[in-house]
Amino acid sequence: MSYLTCTRLTTWTLAAVLLQIFGLSFFLYGFFPVKPALSGVSGPESYRSPMCEPVKDLEEKILPPDRLRSLYKEMSGIPLSFDRLILMVVDGLPAEFVLGKGDQPPTKVMLEAMPYTQSLLSSGMAVGYHAKAAPPTVTMPRLKAIVSGAIGGFLDVAFNFNTQALLDDNIVGQFYNISWKMVMHGDETWLKLFPGFFTRHDGVSSFYVKDTIEVDHNVSRHLKTELIADDWNLLILHYLGLDHVGHIGGRNSILMSPKLKEMDEVVKMIHMNKILPQDDPHGQTLLVLVSDHGMTGNGNHGGSSYDETDSLAVFIGLRSKVPDYASATNNAAFQVDIAPTLALLFGVPIPKNNIGVLIEGTFASLTDDQWLRALELNSWQLLRLLQAQLPHLSQGLPCKDPTVEQYSQISKCSGSAELKFRCLISNAAALHDAWRLNGARGFRNNSRDDFRGTVAAYYEFLRTASEWLSRRATDKPLDLLAFGVITMFVSCLILFWLCKEVYNKQKQCFPNLYRSNYTMHSDESFVSIAILIYIFSMGSSSIVEEEQYIWHFMTSTLYLIFFRRSIQSLPAGQTPNLLNVSNGQKCSNYSHTCSIIFVLICGRVLRGWHQGGVNWTHLPDISKWLEQAGLHSIIYIQIASVVLVISLGSWALYLLRPKSAFVPVVHISFVISGILVLLHNIEHQEHTLITSNYSTTSIAQIIYATISMSVITIVIASPWLMPISLYKTRSTSRFHLMSSHSIDIHKRTPELGLRGAAYLIGWTYIVFWCLIQLLLQKPINAVPIILVLLQILASMYYFSMPELHHKQWVEVAAFYFLGMAGHFGLGNSNTLATIDVAGAFIGVSSHSTLLAGIIMFVITYASPLLIFLSMVMLISMKDTSYILDSQNAEMGHLLQMMIGFPCLVPLCLNSIMLTTFTIILLLMRNHLFVWSVFSPKYLYVCATTVSVYVGVSVVAVTAVYLCNVFVFRERMFNPKGNNRQTNQW
Amino acid sequence: MEKTTAEASSDQNVSVPVSIWEAFRLHLICGLGLAVAFWVAHNIYSIDLISNPDQTLFLIWVIETPIIIGVYSISRWNPKQCSFLKAVGHGLLGIPAGAFLNAFGAIVLGAPIGFLYIKRTISWSLLMSLFTFAPAASVFGSSWNNWQRLFVYAKPAGIVDYMICLPAHGTVIGAWLGAWPMPLDWERPWQEWPISVSYGAIAGYIIGMVASLGFIFMFDRRRPHVKGD
Repeated sequence: MSYLTCTRLTTWTLAAVLLQIFGLSFFLYGFFPVKPALSGVSGPESYRSPMCEPVKDLEEKILPPDRLRSLYKEMSGIPLSFDRLILMVVDGLPAEFVLGKGDQPPTKVMLEAMPYTQSLLSSGMAVGYHAKAAPPTVTMPRLKAIVSGAIGGFLDVAFNFNTQALLDDNIVGQFYNISWKMVMHGDETWLKLFPGFFTRHDGVSSFYVKDTIEVDHNVSRHLKTELIADDWNLLILHYLGLDHVGHIGGRNSILMSPKLKEMDEVVKMIHMNKILPQDDPHGQTLLVLVSDHGMTGNGNHGGSSYDETDSLAVFIGLRSKVPDYASATNNAAFQVDIAPTLALLFGVPIPKNNIGVLIEGTFASLTDDQWLRALELNSWQLLRLLQAQLPHLSQGLPCKDPTVEQYSQISKCSGSAELKFRCLISNAAALHDAWRLNGARGFRNNSRDDFRGTVAAYYEFLRTASEWLSRRATDKPLDLLAFGVITMFVSCLILFWLCKEVYNKQKQCFPNLYRSNYTMHSDESFVSIAILIYIFSMGSSSIVEEEQYIWHFMTSTLYLIFFRRSIQSLPAGQTPNLLNVSNGQKCSNYSHTCSIIFVLICGRVLRGWHQGGVNWTHLPDISKWLEQAGLHSIIYIQIASVVLVISLGSWALYLLRPKSAFVPVVHISFVISGILVLLHNIEHQEHTLITSNYSTTSIAQIIYATISMSVITIVIASPWLMPISLYKTRSTSRFHLMSSHSIDIHKRTPELGLRGAAYLIGWTYIVFWCLIQLLLQKPINAVPIILVLLQILASMYYFSMPELHHKQWVEVAAFYFLGMAGHFGLGNSNTLATIDVAGAFIGVSSHSTLLAGIIMFVITYASPLLIFLSMVMLISMKDTSYILDSQNAEMGHLLQMMIGFPCLVPLCLNSIMLTTFTIILLLMRNHLFVWSVFSPKYLYVCATTVSVYVGVSVVAVTAVYLCNVFVFRERMFNPKGNNRQTNQW
Repeated sequence: MEKTTAEASSDQNVSVPVSIWEAFRLHLICGLGLAVAFWVAHNIYSIDLISNPDQTLFLIWVIETPIIIGVYSISRWNPKQCSFLKAVGHGLLGIPAGAFLNAFGAIVLGAPIGFLYIKRTISWSLLMSLFTFAPAASVFGSSWNNWQRLFVYAKPAGIVDYMICLPAHGTVIGAWLGAWPMPLDWERPWQEWPISVSYGAIAGYIIGMVASLGFIFMFDRRRPHVKGD
């Protein structure tokens, strides 16, 4: 066994934790790339070159919509081709059904299923594109990509908490700014994305996947009236039926061709009514038929295979005609390209975070000049976005000066991304300027070639930039991720090794506790099995959604095993080596067994309090039942809980063995804080309708101040004021005049004082933490907090049973389990929706993200942190006297025995969970639910890690402080007397 | 519970005259009883565990109870002091006590509470008790030492011990494992309480019987050496 001192243990632990933090941050940085998105919306400035100094256009921002519209038209220099847009979204339609795969036309069945659309394509009236979608191929993010041209990251979704509204710049918002009237029929996702944007809407839910008829009928029934109506500029039709057909029967379902026929009928109806009549008084209409994603062979989607990303974009009613069927169908584009194309076709600025490129065939009706202008606008927009990621990009780019000849500077572009982009854009700009100059001078002899060259140069820049930007948004640097995972794994191994070392050391120190154990006890093996089961079950998305069941199940099973073990020593009269057990001890054995039953029952109530998770939240539970019973019963329960916490605290102080004059002070601080919390809760209850009340806020602030002052005072003062009754013992030892016995007493006393102080501080932590929770949590959560507290106390009582030979790491692991079960018992889940945002503003008078975040963390991690705070008390329950009796009693050793496991076991357990879930997330990065299930869970895992760090450091700091103070006091009282002992301390 | 002072229990049990063939016959009868119960439920009453869990469980219990209590009462540990009828009485008394403990365990582990589920929980816990408690009650009556040896320390020391201990532990572990698929969102009818748990328990019981035969076989071969020591 290697020799492990306290200092080395601390160093290694700190190193492991630091390593873990490093690995975690590397992984987070690689997995959730922070995409520097531009905030705000594009305005008139997007028609000016980003290379030049920005012009102050404050007055332009507050323009009325009509002026804005004409300003856009004037500045863009591109005439409006259309006045009205019909965006027809067919959910889940693979482009292959309409356009065929590669060079091959679609299958005969498909051709026959959509006769009208096919005739439009073959006659050149329509042009279709395979618009490649980016994963995750699910509806909401795809719609966002279609309207904003951006590929969103996960974090911007996560940090939007509960609002699903699209806050990024997008074309629907741009249309809204120029006062377009918009109508939407179909998937209600649009209504979530754009609340209040639509003048008329009929949202259908995609919840009933079995229904393939009604969802589409609910859209089509409005079609006739909408096509006659003249008040809209944008009509969005979102058909869900085809996606449902896929989910039921797969890609080749027999329902597929009737559904395609139905869609074809819709296209036909729109085309006949709105596009064919050239003299429509409301102007020209463009029909864009798009799909948000494709589907796999059996109708699923979400991943990144070709079948899923192969989505469709068909433009029907463009002015120009396409020469033949092949060129109308055999085109490739990206889904994000739709946004800039539509923006420029309808005369609004391109959305700020767009990474798409104008689709080439759609602007064929423009003149050369206008087409180049459109490309220039697109380039400027992408250049602005690039500047946000590469801050030095614009250095050395000339502000446009059309008089300078720049032919000589055209060059091959290579080098770093910055150099390349700078070179490509200046090439294109130079060619464009030259072309423009030639046009002005009247040389148009070889203009066709120049034009083509310029277009090619622009496209080279656009494509390179778009590709680079989209890679930045979706690509995960695997080496960085692997490095992060390996670092976390190493730290996990170090922590495990440290645990083993401490275990060995304890085995040496307490041979009676660890004797006869080559085989593991049932509880120890169960803890190991439970961790293994947990690790494997985290790979399944449905178990991640319903994680609370695992923790409740494991915790209850562990306590049932404890129950079984407690029976082992129950009627101990018959086991030969314990024959002479007294009656009182027998009785206490029974009460210890009963405490386990109490923990189990509390756990069951806790489990029934909130029906957590995702799938079964609608089932009845106690909290719903109480909420139905009315608010008054809840507030009474809350008041009762506060009183219970205070009386438990008082009772605990009464039990404190070395009495001190300081204890009544602690008691008074408990009572005052309790009364304040009661006051706040009653006040809050009375003013429940007013959102932020001044008096409740000030009471809450007073509570924060009182509690923090009391905690600091008690923690700092109690080790000094705790009697170590040194004089008394000394006098008795003098009376006895005997060496062995008196030294024994003499040694024990500071140890008793130490334990008393730890007990006092532990209780202070627990009581104040519970009071804070009763203040912050929703009133309905008062009882779960109490239940967790009772569970802790009952298990503490059970673990204090001397005959039980539970190893300390099992006890700490049981506490950890209790904490996690309590975390879910408080109504938390692995979705971000259960975070209590409202509670985060209690007692916060000004808006501060940091404060609100801290309070939110305190609310969410109430139970695990309560567990850690109670560890301080767990330390005090352990009889540490034999450490002092033994020969190698020094302070480092004492500390190691006291807080070795309470700190190392949670760190180790958490690091196992963190590491495995990181690996799972890495493996699942292309899974359908990676963004909806695994990533939110990962955020929770990271937050749990933070809570473990906080809790462990509180325990460690408290214990170190206590030990130091007692060593110091020992020295003060014993300046010369017992030098040998003092050194050993 | 009445506590009998124990004689040196392990020696007592080894000497119980049960041979490996008798053990095999006993397990075979229990297994066949189970099969008959399923057959009756399926073919005569045309109910099964998924559609009518409580009735099916109750039916299995009714058919299996006399079989199990009967065969285990025959191999009671102290036939001289305890008549066959007394052993049967012990077994019958053991069932409600065991049912109470099993129901407590199940509810603590998360079995739903409510009017809907009371009947199911009762029939399930009766069946569980039959598999776990009734054999021990019939064989050992209320001898606390033997109970503690079997269920708390799990240290069987004889053929009868193996015959009781392993199927009982198999039942409990099988039921515990059977609860795992319940919270998943597969939307299958058998995920309802207590269907999958009952399947797990019955499977565990059968596996436990087979395993106990294996252990008895090993034990039987090793026995002379043990005695020699």
